[in-house]
Amino acid sequence: MASAGGGPVRAARRRQTAVAYLFLTPALLFFAVFLALPLLFAVLLAQSRWAGFDLADIEPVGMANFTDLFARGSTFLTPVLTNTLLYAVGTVAIALLGALTLATCINNLRFQGLWRTLSFLPIVTTVVAVGNVWKYLYAPGGLINGALNGLGLHSVAFLQDPGTALPSVVVVQAWASMGTAILILTAGLKSIPEAYYEAAELDGAGAGTIFRRITLPLLRPSLLFVCITQFITGLQSFALINVMTDDGGPGDATNVAALEMYQQAFKYGDWGIASAAAFVLFLVIVAITVGQLWLFRRKGGES
Amino acid sequence: MRRRTFTAGAAAGAALLAGAGCDAPGGEGYGDGGDGRGSGGRRGAPVTLTVLTHYASEPLASALQTVVDAWNATHRRITVRTAAVKFADLLTTYMVRQAAGQGADIIHPYCLWTGQLVRAGVLRPVPPAAARQIRRDFTPAAVAASSVHGTLYGYPTEVQTYALYYNRRLLRQAGIDGPPGTWQELEDAAYRTARRDRHGNMLVQGFGLSRADDASVVGQTLALLAARGGAFLTPDGRRTAIGSAAGRDVLDLERRLIDRGAADSGISLLRAFPSGQVAMAINAGWWTASLRGAMGADYREVGVAPVPGPAPDDRGTLATGFLLGVNAKSRYPGEAWEFLHWLNGVRAPAARPGRGAGGGVPVSRMSALQVSVGSMTGRADDMRALLGGGGEGDADGRGGGDPNLGPFLDALRYAVPEPNGPRAQQAKSLLRKNIEDVWTGRASVDAALRTAGRQIDQELSRPY
Repeated sequence: MASAGGGPVRAARRRQTAVAYLFLTPALLFFAVFLALPLLFAVLLAQSRWAGFDLADIEPVGMANFTDLFARGSTFLTPVLTNTLLYAVGTVAIALLGALTLATCINNLRFQGLWRTLSFLPIVTTVVAVGNVWKYLYAPGGLINGALNGLGLHSVAFLQDPGTALPSVVVVQAWASMGTAILILTAGLKSIPEAYYEAAELDGAGAGTIFRRITLPLLRPSLLFVCITQFITGLQSFALINVMTDDGGPGDATNVAALEMYQQAFKYGDWGIASAAAFVLFLVIVAITVGQLWLFRRKGGES
Repeated sequence: MRRRTFTAGAAAGAALLAGAGCDAPGGEGYGDGGDGRGSGGRRGAPVTLTVLTHYASEPLASALQTVVDAWNATHRRITVRTAAVKFADLLTTYMVRQAAGQGADIIHPYCLWTGQLVRAGVLRPVPPAAARQIRRDFTPAAVAASSVHGTLYGYPTEVQTYALYYNRRLLRQAGIDGPPGTWQELEDAAYRTARRDRHGNMLVQGFGLSRADDASVVGQTLALLAARGGAFLTPDGRRTAIGSAAGRDVLDLERRLIDRGAADSGISLLRAFPSGQVAMAINAGWWTASLRGAMGADYREVGVAPVPGPAPDDRGTLATGFLLGVNAKSRYPGEAWEFLHWLNGVRAPAARPGRGAGGGVPVSRMSALQVSVGSMTGRADDMRALLGGGGEGDADGRGGGDPNLGPFLDALRYAVPEPNGPRAQQAKSLLRKNIEDVWTGRASVDAALRTAGRQIDQELSRPY
């Protein structure tokens, strides 16, 4: 019986598979052209020397670009890569804490739609506008220093002092990216069944205990998503730094990997070193993402 | 580098250029093929050349357009069109457009990039006849800045030397009669003129340190280094030489000025000086026209003096510049060289600034253009003719145009050109970051010099 009916079923399945792949073909082609090919080209360039003009001028150099990146005197590991990590960690920490606090507040307020919309406004504002407004706020004669002076405090050279430049930009990046995190976390908060809270209140649990024992554990999948996406955004950040500190200054205080890659490729015509740096950054992003997944999975977050 | 916001000089420039724009076309023997007839397309077919420059703001844009219009009016077959971007975007634009196969026929790069553009195959060598003429007519610093390994890659256009700008009123208020002639005098004047409010905000800087861009940070430091007898790179351009005693002295001087409250590198020099909030600063000659436009009547309080060295007789400064070259991918190199020869190599009568359109002196159209916007070319004889026969000009500024240009013209005699090897821009950017680390107290002078040496040597050691 099974064999008698197996033929047509298998044939139908094969047809279904063929049709499925047929429908998938445009998407697969898109990925092949715009993802796989550039990726392979970047891997090739990472092992070549090329000014970016004629393909015939690509000169294979093996691993020389990678050794140059980490050679004595190279700025890539320190400060560029360390700045990138500090920038990403700082952004995630501030954005996550801020978003969690605000999302919890919004969840307990009236007119939640209004507050969510307001918190999302920085996302729909262009990075150039955000960067320039904050640049003015941070300026020696700007609003923040004016407020500090009004309180009898000395001015702070936020973007001019290498000690404060990176944290100052981190704050802006976190502020600008908090809207998405708030949206995701408020959605996560809404999905937590009310019954858990009622049971906890009946058992006499305080607000702190409820937040620590119920809200946080059940919010873990949303937190994981926010954490991973914010980290990747932070590691790839370029535009805001370019607007606020131009070339990653003062000195190298705010120079990050994406900015360095841009300058190497488009300014100095050194596509080999830029591609090698991109490859290293890709590995860093993969390692950090896998690390976060492992950490959350160990605590049951991925479920 | 070039925050040019000139408002004055455009009218003078137009008059000057009009007098220089209508003679017979030159260029015979200066094209690639040696016949001045061009190269791409059918012989006699109309050709349109594009020029990509950083002359995006006034009066530079109008000054260039005037001379291009004069060419177009007298040359039916070869039409020239101009396109401009901000200086900060110029190198990136050249690289990206070249990568996209949309490079302009004629490009106008900063001499610092010559090595990079030559190694990337963007610039075409100057034809032999034109090269001979350039070597004969231009100052050695201008020729060197437009050459790589002895081969010329374009006509040197403007040449910038660095000198000390000072605000006479601020020096006078501090009881100082004239500009400093030594580092000691410069320091004394800087400390005496600096003022802060009760919150510690700087009201007047004794000495301004600009962090606007690579050219500002490095230019003023290398000018002081040259005045101290030091150099950025070794003569072969393969290693850094700034770790010398001279380099240490210069960074020590800058750090001392900050530590003792006379300088604040966090304040925009380009805005503070015109506002009368900086007593002294080192910058290139193009700034004179910018200041004249921004300061109006207050510009009479601005003076310019040679960059001081440790001793009164120490003379040295930095020369930078631009060149006009032909793209290696241009389909019409012959026509492009013909236009460039007409613009830079042929002399035509031009009026001297301040003397109206009459009484023309024979100078190149580019020299006339540059002087009309308060700048200079590397043709010293043209500059002497246009600026009044001597570097200093008249005491009241008549005949010599802006007397503040005198010290920049004089500096052409002793200024050292900026290194322009294949990785010169990277080396400059690395030096800038280390200088800024000293200015901001992030690194000691010794540590910054060590790091700069290590980083720049590593960069220069990489094959291109």
